[in-house]
Amino acid sequence: MGLKIISLMKQVPVATEMRMGADGLMDRTKAKSIINVDCSFGLEQGLQIKRHVPDAELIVVSMGPPSFDQSLRKTISMGYDRAVLLSDRRLGGSDTFATGLALASLLKNVILPKDGGPYIIFAGRQTTDGDTAHVPSQVAENLGVPQATFVEAVEYHGTYLKVRRVIEGGQQTLKVPIPCIISVAPSSIPARRPSLVDAIRSRQIQIETFTLDQIGVTAEQVGLAGSPTIVAKAVTIERSRPPVTMLNGSKMEETASQLINLLENSSKQQVQAKNDEPAAGKPAAAEADQAVKQDKYPRVDFRNGSSGILTWIEVYGNVAASSSLEILNPARKLAKELGTTVTSVVIGDNVDHLAKLVIAHGADEVVVVNSPRLKEYSILPFASVIAQVVKERRPEIALFAATTSGRELAPRLASRLRAGVTADCTILKIGEFVNKRLKSTFYPCLEAIRPTYGESKLATIIGFWCPQMATARPGTFKALTPDYNRQGKVSEFKPELSEPDFLVEILDTQRKESGGQGLLSAEFIVAGGRPCGAIDDFKLIKELVQALQAKGIKADWGASRQAVDHGYVPYVRQIGQSGKTVRPKVYLAVAISGAIQHVCGIKESGKIIAINSDPKAAIFNCTDYGIIADYMEVLPILIEKVKAGFTFGLKTADEKNLVKV
Amino acid sequence: MNNRVVETDILIIGGGPAGLAVAIHFADLIKQHNQAVEAGTESGAKLPAKIVLLEKGNAIGNHILSGAVVNPSSLRELLPDILEKDFPFETPVLKNDINFFTKNKAFALPFHPPQMCNKGNYIAILAKVVRWLAEIATKKGVQIFTGFSAHELLFEKGQVVGVRTGVSGVDKHGKPMANYQPPTEVRARITILAEGTRGHLTKTLISKLDLAQDRNPQVYSLGVKEVWEVPEGAFEVGRVVHTLGFPLKFDQFGGSFIYGLSKNLVSIGLVVGLDYKDPTFDVHHAFQIFKKHPFVANILKNGKILRYGAKTLPEGGLFSVPQLYHENVMIVGDSASLLSMPSLKGVHLAVQSGMLAAKAAFTAIKKNDTSYNQLALYQKLFVKSAAYKELYGVRNFRQGFKKNFFIGMLHYATQLVTGGRGLTLSGKLTMEEDGKHYDPIAKRNGKTFLEEYKKELVFDKALTFDKETDIFYSGTQHDEEQPSHIVVPSLDLCHVCIEKYDAPCQRFCPAQVFEIAADAKTGKRGLTLHPSNCVHCKTCDIKDPFENVTWLTPYGGDGPEYENM
Repeated sequence: MGLKIISLMKQVPVATEMRMGADGLMDRTKAKSIINVDCSFGLEQGLQIKRHVPDAELIVVSMGPPSFDQSLRKTISMGYDRAVLLSDRRLGGSDTFATGLALASLLKNVILPKDGGPYIIFAGRQTTDGDTAHVPSQVAENLGVPQATFVEAVEYHGTYLKVRRVIEGGQQTLKVPIPCIISVAPSSIPARRPSLVDAIRSRQIQIETFTLDQIGVTAEQVGLAGSPTIVAKAVTIERSRPPVTMLNGSKMEETASQLINLLENSSKQQVQAKNDEPAAGKPAAAEADQAVKQDKYPRVDFRNGSSGILTWIEVYGNVAASSSLEILNPARKLAKELGTTVTSVVIGDNVDHLAKLVIAHGADEVVVVNSPRLKEYSILPFASVIAQVVKERRPEIALFAATTSGRELAPRLASRLRAGVTADCTILKIGEFVNKRLKSTFYPCLEAIRPTYGESKLATIIGFWCPQMATARPGTFKALTPDYNRQGKVSEFKPELSEPDFLVEILDTQRKESGGQGLLSAEFIVAGGRPCGAIDDFKLIKELVQALQAKGIKADWGASRQAVDHGYVPYVRQIGQSGKTVRPKVYLAVAISGAIQHVCGIKESGKIIAINSDPKAAIFNCTDYGIIADYMEVLPILIEKVKAGFTFGLKTADEKNLVKV
Repeated sequence: MNNRVVETDILIIGGGPAGLAVAIHFADLIKQHNQAVEAGTESGAKLPAKIVLLEKGNAIGNHILSGAVVNPSSLRELLPDILEKDFPFETPVLKNDINFFTKNKAFALPFHPPQMCNKGNYIAILAKVVRWLAEIATKKGVQIFTGFSAHELLFEKGQVVGVRTGVSGVDKHGKPMANYQPPTEVRARITILAEGTRGHLTKTLISKLDLAQDRNPQVYSLGVKEVWEVPEGAFEVGRVVHTLGFPLKFDQFGGSFIYGLSKNLVSIGLVVGLDYKDPTFDVHHAFQIFKKHPFVANILKNGKILRYGAKTLPEGGLFSVPQLYHENVMIVGDSASLLSMPSLKGVHLAVQSGMLAAKAAFTAIKKNDTSYNQLALYQKLFVKSAAYKELYGVRNFRQGFKKNFFIGMLHYATQLVTGGRGLTLSGKLTMEEDGKHYDPIAKRNGKTFLEEYKKELVFDKALTFDKETDIFYSGTQHDEEQPSHIVVPSLDLCHVCIEKYDAPCQRFCPAQVFEIAADAKTGKRGLTLHPSNCVHCKTCDIKDPFENVTWLTPYGGDGPEYENM
């Protein structure tokens, strides 16, 4: 039986439509539709496997309206053999849980080999419109096959794949048996262009279209009825950058000090604002609004006996991840409002010693799971262990840090537990939801709030199937100051481990940044223009990055197209419209003129600082702090300041509580 | 998968008005024939009619740029079943002025040359027109593939047998990468080149088969254009203004256009003959200076730019029209130099030539004979056509202006009364190639465009823009991982050129593809290419003094995204 290579593909509106709105920002309302960018990388991986297995069948699978035809045919013109579309009006309103279920049913019933023949499913890491990264995990869970997510390289070995996945600050190599699902990151091979011969074929083929009835799924299992979460509201985020503050001390030293003061003050203010924000609570206006609704429908407690908040503490190298400690902050606030407790699960080999730290950061109880086989995180056994804990404890809310682990684990668990999950939240609070259909007001709901549509909207997502799950964006919440006098309960949990959960083998784990990929996740980016190549070959820029990295800051460097075109820097480090779009917390532009094409790629950064000797450089129009100077004078001072402890207002490793115990 | 060859009866390269007219008219003729055969009114068999059209832009209309004031006559002829009121034009021309600009003043010319009368014409967004034509063609069974470049002509035994598409997924040196996509060969009984101005296949064909024997060399203008959104009332809908004079000198050929597309949209541009002498002259910059003229600045005040683009116009006229056919191949539209310079119009001629080529192609397919002699029918039809008559009347127009504006006007006046012959004994005025006119920089003694406008060439990014900002508004995008599609074979020549002419490439290119920068270490000035800025106007292929630049197609789908230019 031949190999089937299946690619899951979604059609999305173009995120970077090159139209400027009246506000000078991109206007996406008139956007056209394209193949989701990450999906195109998944499609290419399928084509790559086909090079090794020439008789493999390449099938693209999608779920959506008939207008997806356009993108399906495009995949044929890239070289796919068949296109399958699940299209049914009753699917409208499906969240990722229902989508995972529907796609898995489609695959099982009409695509996958019935005789157990081999198959590989590729998917994009996440979509630009939903941004959840859930569906690959949820399809995998529904099919009961192993998975690897955030994958950037795939090797085919007949019965298994060797894949390299991106993890925090590094990469991991896995041996994944076939059949499996691989979700592909955009740092892998870019999708090939269509060929004319296949474009002609794409006009002739029939798109195989299926409805729910043909795949054995009922209307109740999908759409709004089958979705544990709904988008309660979405508001547009107004982004405005205040006019530039030009720094001009009489000496360069003085100017650098001005910058340091400004950055450190603004970071303090941010922390202040974050602490002032009612993490659990409602804005006054919403309260009044809901009071009216309350009159209308009676409040219903949908939790059916579930109670308590569960969090997972991610451990690597015997250290509790700072991101996992951070989420104990919102967890505490939610617990206080609900009048319940926070339980944290710590899984590993001999991890009892972490319990005290976790309690100090806000947990009321720590469930410790010890096993030599659980020393390193792997999705299948960890999903199994947490599912067992959840079934025993029945929490109403379960929170995970949105790390590469959390973002694959939470959705897989959600599908297993029949629960809803919201990805990458930045605000978590308790609210209520008026269900007009059932004439009732659900309370208390977890309001999981997250940026979406490329950070242009803030969506509030609500679920009322317990546990209500969410992953929280690392760095959004500040970990509570540890209180080592805090008392809590520590209990041991003995899970049942089954052999199929250990099918995926971890071959290697490295936590060290490699070239260029760090740009997409860096907190600090310094980018240089052409002079930086011509004058010192980016030496000072690299030094600054190293100095910051030594302080535990995720820093990386990039370049303008001018610097790349002149051959000083490889293309992977190009920032801007035709390179990478970046969103660090601090962006430092050095000797970059600020062409509109460059600004497009950086404008969503937190703080933008520019150093340029030309006072009329356009970069100063989109900058928070500007320094008119020769960078050869400024950077050495800044490097010294960094070595002395200045981190551009970013948290150092120590402050991030990555405490070794 | 290995068999990357496809076959078709008719292959059309380019989805502009000419190519789409071929497609539509050929499909109509085949349909009429087959219906007649079915009805028994025509003897013989039904004819096959597989028509494939390739367009390098990502969508039809993406690489189209024109003023545009359109004479609807040819479209009426092409689409007799569609009422003129249903054509996708913006507005009829309601008001038509010609102004002469001095630096700060505008004088309306009291008279209009007959070719510049726009009665019955329409202001159009040409991209909309071609998208509409493409829809019609598709309904008639034409297979249009966008995002595919015809990279080279396929020759067999000296005859054209089709084209090969470009590859993709290769690195800067042309080495295949993991996502390599091999080319496809399209073999066609008849290949029709409708590439537009300075088509790179047409250029190869003309030189290889010597199709421009005894012709004047082709000469061009470069037009740069912006579309602006302006406050209501700033410029009337349906108003057409052409200007002469400032910022151009009397020895420069060219002028501007300002068209009122709708109550808020204005199309504005400057068109300059590429036979200018000053190596520092820059059409893009001249256009920015033009916008500062009070007459123009007033219109654009409180408006904002929406789109930018540039294209060249073939304006040699009838004496530059190459032989239009050869074995299995025909040339139509701008590729064939079918543009009437005094009226600034080519769309109607493109459509006409397309229809004539379609007629010739139909007869050839019907006779199962696509030979040289058979396709000569196209040239014969052309000589009898209204298009020919129109071009014949102005056959010496552009050449008359090669010295300067006054001599040009004198020539033009005599041509008007002599039916186009004017002040020549031979009946034919000649021209040289555009790249041959440069003065060495030393000879200009500092009297250069750049010197003269030093102060004005500061761009405020509200009314005037540098090239880099303007090209953002062209929407142009190119994959950075590909060999440069702008080929400069000799860098040694660049050094000669820098010395002698101060490298005109850095100025003639309206998209900043060519940058002359000093090496940080040696201080020696040299060329750096930014091919991903390219807007596909092909000025570099035309205006380089040493013919040291060749424009090739980049990956299919790359290039500007004009949409509504």
